[in-house]
Amino acid sequence: MTGGTTVGPAIAVRGLTKRYGDVQAVAGIDFEVAPGEIFGLLGPNGAGKTTTVEILEGLRAPDGGEAMVLGHDAARDADALKPRIGVSLQTASMYPKLTVTELIDLFRSFYPRSRPTADLIEALGLGERKDARSADLSGGQRQRLAVALALVNDPELVFLDEPTTGLDPAARRSLWDLVRGLKADGRTVLLTTHYMEEAEVLCDRLAIMDHGRILEMGTVDELIAKRFQERAVRFDRLAGLAPEELAALPAVTSVKEDGDEVLLFTRDVGPTIGALLALADGRGLEPKGLAIRRATLEDVFLDLTGRALRD
Amino acid sequence: MTALLALTVANIKSYVRDRAALFWTLAFPLIFIFMFGFIFQGGGGGGLQIGWVDEDGSSASTQLRAAFAAIETNELTDLPEDQAVEQMRDGDLDTVIVVPAGYGAAIEASTAAIASGAPPPGPTSVVVYTDPSRQSLTAAVFQSVGAVLGVVNLGGRPPLIVPEAATIQTENLNFISYFVPSMLALSVMQVGIFAAIPLVADREKLILKRLAATPLRRWQLVGSNVLMRLLIALAQSIIIVAVGVAFFGVQITGPWALTVVFVVLGAVAFLALGYVIASFAKTEDAANGMTSVVQFPMMFLSGTFFPIEQMPDVLQTVARLIPLTYLADALRQVMVGGAAFAPLWVCAAVLLGWLVVCFGIAAVKFRWQ
Repeated sequence: MTGGTTVGPAIAVRGLTKRYGDVQAVAGIDFEVAPGEIFGLLGPNGAGKTTTVEILEGLRAPDGGEAMVLGHDAARDADALKPRIGVSLQTASMYPKLTVTELIDLFRSFYPRSRPTADLIEALGLGERKDARSADLSGGQRQRLAVALALVNDPELVFLDEPTTGLDPAARRSLWDLVRGLKADGRTVLLTTHYMEEAEVLCDRLAIMDHGRILEMGTVDELIAKRFQERAVRFDRLAGLAPEELAALPAVTSVKEDGDEVLLFTRDVGPTIGALLALADGRGLEPKGLAIRRATLEDVFLDLTGRALRD
Repeated sequence: MTALLALTVANIKSYVRDRAALFWTLAFPLIFIFMFGFIFQGGGGGGLQIGWVDEDGSSASTQLRAAFAAIETNELTDLPEDQAVEQMRDGDLDTVIVVPAGYGAAIEASTAAIASGAPPPGPTSVVVYTDPSRQSLTAAVFQSVGAVLGVVNLGGRPPLIVPEAATIQTENLNFISYFVPSMLALSVMQVGIFAAIPLVADREKLILKRLAATPLRRWQLVGSNVLMRLLIALAQSIIIVAVGVAFFGVQITGPWALTVVFVVLGAVAFLALGYVIASFAKTEDAANGMTSVVQFPMMFLSGTFFPIEQMPDVLQTVARLIPLTYLADALRQVMVGGAAFAPLWVCAAVLLGWLVVCFGIAAVKFRWQ
């Protein structure tokens, strides 16, 4: 990767707002993304992630606030910004009747400077499909084509909006490798996702968004540690055990019930499990699906919003 | 410039690979031309409908009639000349053959002269009416006439009888000559307004938004669309005119340059109308429906299928407003010297007016995302 040396953050957002009719899509958010970082916007559909990203890409004008991207005001100076960024939209469709090679060549013609088509096809693993029309690609191949088109201009900053939505696990993992490769090249990546696992695996830092606001921001470890110093003991809900009884077990700090799952957050796993098993045994019950785990982003989201983040 | 051309090429590839689009803009008008061309060419079965006008009434003329009637595929109808010509003009007869008064006497004199070894007084003639614009039919008529006269002429040379060609314009010529420029206008309209459908589809699929995230300018995007549609309109014109000339003997009389000017003006005006449709249609299905709503009334009210003068007053008013009326009229005037519905400058002005108004509406209303 070549190109401009940006002093300061790759992205700096301050007090950004955007409203569509009655819906406050973005309700005043602030965040910064450092150069070379993979930054994630995590949240359910309708959280305002896509609107935020499209403002940063210069595709939408914000109602208020400031969005500085690579030193350019994304709202006023989009023309200077566009040659330096790469964009993959939420819907990765392209002209359906053109082939992979034709589409990459087409996009190269839009930029003053571009990477050779063969390199991109090679880098994105599209060699076997280079003469296939985009309509005939699988979901994973289509996403990789979308990323290839985002990399045509060798950008410093890449936006990936929900890059793995709808992909099978294998295709998702191969795309994750690709995103890590972008970071290894020294590029900054801003990605949106509603997959917890994706955010945990990929993002250096992330912001959890809901209803147009950022609820929490930091590294995955920071986000978890801020709310959960303890670990969680989980098991399938048992009809005979009341939440108050569980909360009274040794070292337990809180009890969360989510569907058929019960989570006991504890400062000390050993005594909690021992007491839980004793309590259940006394009633002739046996906890099923017993497991110990660290709190996850899912727990953080549940704690922040009171609901689970599911797709 | 590179981006503009690359996008134009990409658009053309997409278009050529889209069979439905190809059908509507190329096959559809050709099917119409062939359909109407064959219907109005008449005759169909290969036989010749001959109007027989015997102004001589001699035994020689009766012999000649018998010789024509002896050819199985010929069907002779005896008529006075004015009626025969009238029927041929209406398309009921393929040709009219007139045996002039004095034919029998002339044959007799020639035969006698040959018999006595004196130089013959020169051949006598029969008049054969054909429509030269119907080339294959004309050829068939002269083939038949030649077959008959050849036998008669064998008796003496130099020939006793020569055909004297007379030409008239039949209704058939008028119809197909009228129809080919009309169909050209119709397909230019389709190339223009059908632009709405891929445009809305590209917006729906966020392709336009994706392009907006590149340094590509909007004028380049619109420009490539205009360029591509113009190239298609011109290719289409060449094909339609070639078919009209090759298969139906349409004679293009007008200047090519002016034809191209109107094709281009029409294509751009209808393309602007396509952008207006794309401004109001939210989905590809809606765009499909709206192009039909615009297309079919124009098709039927533009004077292509029904003469405007025969429409009810209300429809005549509509016909006077729609752009296709003026494009078709202009092309008929320029290409085949058709009768003017409006002067050419009015046609150009109306098309230009539609272009400006549609461009204005689209400039305000069109949404890229």
